[in-house]
Amino acid sequence: MSVAALKQLSIQYLRGAVAPFSLTFEKAKKLTVVYGENAAGKSTICDALEFLGKGQVGSLENRGLGKTGRYWPSSGKKLSDVSVTLQTADGAVCKAMVLKGGDVVVQPPELRPRVEVLRKRQILALIEATPANRYEAIKRFIDVSGVEDSEAHLRTLIVKDLKSGRDQAVARIDENAKTIRDFWESAGKPKPDPFSWAESECKRDLTAVALEVAALTALQTAYTRLLEYPQLLKSKSDSLDAARKSNTAAEGQASTAAHSIAKDASEIVSVLEAARVYLKKVPSPAGCPVCESSEKVAKLSERIEERLGGFSALRTARAAMEAAAKALQQAESQFESCCENASRNLAEFEKRLAHSDLPDDLSKPSKIPSDISYLPSWLTSIAHVPPEWKKAENDRSEKKTFTETLRKALETWRTNTQAQKEIDALLPRLEKALEIAEEERRQFTDGILAGIAGEVGRLYEIVHPGEGLNKISLQLDSGKRASLDLGTIFGGQNTSPQAYFSDSHLDTLGLCIFVALSSLDGPENTTLVLDDVLASVDEPHVERVIEMLYSEAAKFRHTVITTHYRPWKEKYRWGWLKNGQCQFVELTKWTTQAGLTLIRSVPDVDRLRQLLAESSPDPQLVCAKAGVILEAALDFLTLQYGCQVARKLGGDYTLGDLLPAIDKGLRTALRVDVLATTGTGGKSYNTISLKPMLDELARIAQVRNVVGCHFNELSFALLDSDGLAFGQQVLKLIEALADEDAGWPRQGKSGEYWATAGETRKLYPYKKPT
Amino acid sequence: MSAETPSEKLARKIIERLIREGLITERAGAKMLPKLADGTLQAEDWRLPLELGNTKARKR
Repeated sequence: MSVAALKQLSIQYLRGAVAPFSLTFEKAKKLTVVYGENAAGKSTICDALEFLGKGQVGSLENRGLGKTGRYWPSSGKKLSDVSVTLQTADGAVCKAMVLKGGDVVVQPPELRPRVEVLRKRQILALIEATPANRYEAIKRFIDVSGVEDSEAHLRTLIVKDLKSGRDQAVARIDENAKTIRDFWESAGKPKPDPFSWAESECKRDLTAVALEVAALTALQTAYTRLLEYPQLLKSKSDSLDAARKSNTAAEGQASTAAHSIAKDASEIVSVLEAARVYLKKVPSPAGCPVCESSEKVAKLSERIEERLGGFSALRTARAAMEAAAKALQQAESQFESCCENASRNLAEFEKRLAHSDLPDDLSKPSKIPSDISYLPSWLTSIAHVPPEWKKAENDRSEKKTFTETLRKALETWRTNTQAQKEIDALLPRLEKALEIAEEERRQFTDGILAGIAGEVGRLYEIVHPGEGLNKISLQLDSGKRASLDLGTIFGGQNTSPQAYFSDSHLDTLGLCIFVALSSLDGPENTTLVLDDVLASVDEPHVERVIEMLYSEAAKFRHTVITTHYRPWKEKYRWGWLKNGQCQFVELTKWTTQAGLTLIRSVPDVDRLRQLLAESSPDPQLVCAKAGVILEAALDFLTLQYGCQVARKLGGDYTLGDLLPAIDKGLRTALRVDVLATTGTGGKSYNTISLKPMLDELARIAQVRNVVGCHFNELSFALLDSDGLAFGQQVLKLIEALADEDAGWPRQGKSGEYWATAGETRKLYPYKKPT
Repeated sequence: MSAETPSEKLARKIIERLIREGLITERAGAKMLPKLADGTLQAEDWRLPLELGNTKARKR
């Protein structure tokens, strides 16, 4: 963004600019007052600056027009015809125009000026806004939501994470301390204290205990296996006995069956059975497989079956004998296997019993039986010993579990105690950090709000001096986010200005708030535009508002004020205001052909100077202009010193009324110290007595009436130089009395003289001599 | 025109104060500053520098 001074604003076909219009800004003057009657086009200039700076035309907003783009062009023109160009003192130019889609674009974008616009109907906007909207309006100065979010994370860490974590750690510490104490008490409260005892207990090596437990467990397992054998051996032995008996019986029965049939019956059955097997394989043999005869070979199979049927009893007996023999063999095998297993397990038990990890004091059985048949009786004889082993194992397991539980409790206690210590060390730092963040945030926002309020109050005091209404406050509502209250002190009480201030006071307050806010945010880069805001100000305060705006304008890159307040124009005309920084321009009546037309309003003193400087000055014009200037000067002096003037209806006093009113004593005393800057930059005053000028003017004042006011034959007898001398004398007087930039000497703060702003002129005496 | 947002201005003040009070180191403060301003300084981002500051304080 360029910060160079504004040089020229050119408007084409925007609103009232039906023809191209340019406003040239005077060099080194940061305030431009645009005077014009209603409908002269003042708002178009404001619209143009807003169009350039904000891409909008605010004067059309909130009028129920919806989207206002179609109303931007001048009558008969299209949006694409609209453009606003701003040229700055450094030669840079930026131009705003409307694209096809309706968007306003500024080229080059980096030169888009920052513009703040206040219009008459917006003047109360901030005062009448809801607290939320009011906050929104100044949010850009106090929005610290980013920091607030980070602050919330810190708050959560403190309250939810650490404090809750600490509470949990403390609960665990209590819990584990109780466990340790309980163990300690059950251990008989050994000295010196529960935790020292627990520490030493936990240091004990549990490896030996674990080995003992393992050896005892293995021994008992081996013993338990042996317990199965008495029953098992008996069972197997009984089965063997039964098998033997069955076998003997089966053998007897088979023998009896064989004897009852034939001596070789048994062998015949064997042959027949072999033949049956053969015929199953060869169903149609050529001959008998034994004798090879083919006789009766056809029915050989039926005959074999027939004969075997005759030997069935023998066959059954023989099958039973074979089964019995097989069962006996099996029983013998199982018994032997059982005896072997018992011997092996007994050997394993013996090995476990001799294990070196077993406690030395462990009860052990007497001699192990070498013959397995003694196992049952031996087991019965040692039955009282294994319960002692179980007890020894339990004792050791309990000790292991106890130590492990104690160790775990101690570890948890240590861990949580450490955690608590760490949190206790960290928490105060985090709390301090949060306290700092909250405090700095409050101070920051309070400071900014107090700064804004103080600035508003300062400006308000300029407009309403001594009324005691400058105690303006802006406060964030702590109960609500993004809510801003506006307050003041009225009648000694904190209240809202809306409740007690008059409309006019509220208007000036709105103006002061706007100017204060605008001056907060890089005023040196901001062009301030005030569109007809003086119309809202009541007469007694207008002059002070103007004074305030004059002084505040110096802060901004540029200030443009439009007004139809005629006294301002007149005061400018008569040089009553300190016009050093001010460019005063006037818009004449707007027409459909020419649109906005500008004339430069020139103070009358300038105009007189110009008339006198012409190559052929017109005495009539010079006298007329000099006459009114002299009247203004005499009006000022007579009012300042309370001179006696005959009262008149309408107050239109003539030179004839005013000149004699400055009596001889006052005329002699009147002098002006005119500030002159020395070569070294220091200050000195040149004293000018007004008496010679006033005397001379009293002598030639009649010229004004004769030449400057009316057609008068007397003027025929006068020289042009007489009229011009009158004009030069008036110019001499007014140049001594008033400063073109600083105005008239109206300030009497010194009590010794009347001074202009900056004391460029000091008018003596302070009081009319008696 | 100042490029700093109100949040950035405030964050700078807070960090300066935390450093001044000995709660964090200057290096940690420089890292925390942008996150503090834009609202992304999470719980752990607060905890670590304050713990480290704490350690240094204990050592001293």
